[in-house]
Amino acid sequence: MVDFLIGLFLATLIVALFTSRLYRLILWYSMNSLILGLLALVIGRTLDDKAMLITGIATILIKAIGIPYLLKNLSSKFHFVRQIQPEIKVQYAIILIPAILVFTFYLAEPITHMIHGNANYIAISISSLFLSLLLMMEHRNVAPKIIGFLSMENALFLLGITATDGMPMLVELGIFFDLLMAIVVINLLFHNEEANL
Amino acid sequence: MMLTLLVLPALIMFIVSFFKNKKAKFLLPVSSFAILLPIIELFVLPKPYAIAGSYLVADKLDTYILLVSSIVGIGVTLALLTLDKHVKVSANAYRRFYRFFAIFWVGLSISILSNHMGIYWIGLELATLSTVYMIKTNHTRAAHKEAWNYMIVGAIAISLVLFGIILMYASAKPILGEEAMQFDLLLSHAKEIPSPFLFEMGFAIATVGMFVKMGFFPMNLWLANIERASFYPVAALFSGILESAVLIGFFRFSQIAMEINYAHLYGFVFVYTLLTIFIVSFLIFRAKDFMRLFSLSGIEHMALIVLFWVSGGTFAALLHFGAHAFLKPALFLSTGVLESNGKYRIAGALRGYRGKKGTLFWFLVSLFLLAIISLPPSPMFFSELYGFGAMMETAKHSDHMLAMIAAILLLLILLSVIFYRFVAIYQSMKYEGKEEEKKVYASELFALVIFALCLAALMLPASLDYLRSIA
Repeated sequence: MVDFLIGLFLATLIVALFTSRLYRLILWYSMNSLILGLLALVIGRTLDDKAMLITGIATILIKAIGIPYLLKNLSSKFHFVRQIQPEIKVQYAIILIPAILVFTFYLAEPITHMIHGNANYIAISISSLFLSLLLMMEHRNVAPKIIGFLSMENALFLLGITATDGMPMLVELGIFFDLLMAIVVINLLFHNEEANL
Repeated sequence: MMLTLLVLPALIMFIVSFFKNKKAKFLLPVSSFAILLPIIELFVLPKPYAIAGSYLVADKLDTYILLVSSIVGIGVTLALLTLDKHVKVSANAYRRFYRFFAIFWVGLSISILSNHMGIYWIGLELATLSTVYMIKTNHTRAAHKEAWNYMIVGAIAISLVLFGIILMYASAKPILGEEAMQFDLLLSHAKEIPSPFLFEMGFAIATVGMFVKMGFFPMNLWLANIERASFYPVAALFSGILESAVLIGFFRFSQIAMEINYAHLYGFVFVYTLLTIFIVSFLIFRAKDFMRLFSLSGIEHMALIVLFWVSGGTFAALLHFGAHAFLKPALFLSTGVLESNGKYRIAGALRGYRGKKGTLFWFLVSLFLLAIISLPPSPMFFSELYGFGAMMETAKHSDHMLAMIAAILLLLILLSVIFYRFVAIYQSMKYEGKEEEKKVYASELFALVIFALCLAALMLPASLDYLRSIA
């Protein structure tokens, strides 16, 4: 089950890289977060870790529902450009993405021997981080860059739950809080006129 | 109780920032003065002092950094009183600046006092995010663009730091469990970490994140552009406070990494800082405005602090840190006066200040300008002497004495380039250009006097003894 979900997690991120419509990109981010939340729930249940279960629920509520809803609202409020053509052409992206995946598996090779459990999860977390960075780089518009940043947080979260069997609850809640703060700041940045605030 | 006292002034500042009464503006610096009281109390208390269990612990190092940061905060809030005299800023934007400054201060206090890698990161992220809006207070297209730039590059840098923290945590979790996030426990069990390679990899990634945040190679112009586009108090906050929070993280992580494999740590940091100083010195040579000049010089000094620290020159690094934390915000705040109404001219910038206030202003600015290039008796002169001494001492215990001498010579040449440029700029400011009558206000002058006094206090035997005791 965990393998299946991690595969889906990576697949949603790869699809997001090829998306040329903003709302579809938000949807893929939402799916990516939903799978992350489910992963935390599954791993949490296996390890009987209540903190991870709470984190999983919070991920689904905040990242899979709350943030995409907010982003969609912001998009219609500030009339974002919804046609977001990636700067990297599809034919190059098709070569680049597998190259990143192979490279990260190679990069994570020495680390994987030192971690208990399935070592490939770490490699997938690192590749997700690189793919999120690629998502930020391949778009000129701000909105996809924000989604790239949020996907990067998801990749870090995946690393947290797979490499360390979950980080301390306090840290995970703190990361959520910071994420919300980031959304507030992003919201404020979109307001050009003070009077609107 | 102590935590409440530390956070209370920021909370008051946050609430007062919602008042639309014009007199509320004067309450804001008063509340920033109140930040100093609990920090002074922290100095008196025995160390290490647990503020919030094992999560927030005050030791000698973080109390010193917090004290320096709070003084910078006071100076900045004093200078903010006359911000509207130098630049166009609306009352709303002004109040919002304070609101985010309060959040910034809370994040900063948490990260400086944290004994926990995760909490350190949360505090740093909070402080970073709050500064994004401070950049945006300036309603120009350039500031808007740079605010986004800061948000995105800052997010990448801070994500790298978290990535590194997770790997470091994973490396020590088998022996320490969930407590593998605590700096003190990690330090005492550093030699028992079962997978040192994993820790070193985490440390390297986190360090790159922190270096990017401080504007090291290859992001040398990133901070300079942001500071140019935003109002001058933002640059003062960046150089005097935010970078302190990043530095203390580096100090804590590197203390553990030194125990694991000193040679790896030293080689990595040495090459990185040398490369940064090499590039920055030539960028300084070409700098054409005050903001970029001071910003790039800030990167150079941060690199020197990091280099001295890893060379074992803790005293030199902390002395250099303290001096830089007072000098650089003072220079950035002076820039606000020197560049009043958008005039970026260097020639004659120090001319035309008359009366007692004017004379004191140009005298202080001259003092700061010459002190930042380590002209004796600046504390930076002594810290550099001690720092290079520490580097030689490190080389004595290795087979690379000649390489170290060559590296120090190269560093001295690069520092001479910077010295030459600053002296040329000072001469242009004082002896070239037209003389126009300029005005300086009491509150900003008061801020500069505070920085000058603190700089002098840093050289007192008691202060130096305190810094030695940290080492």
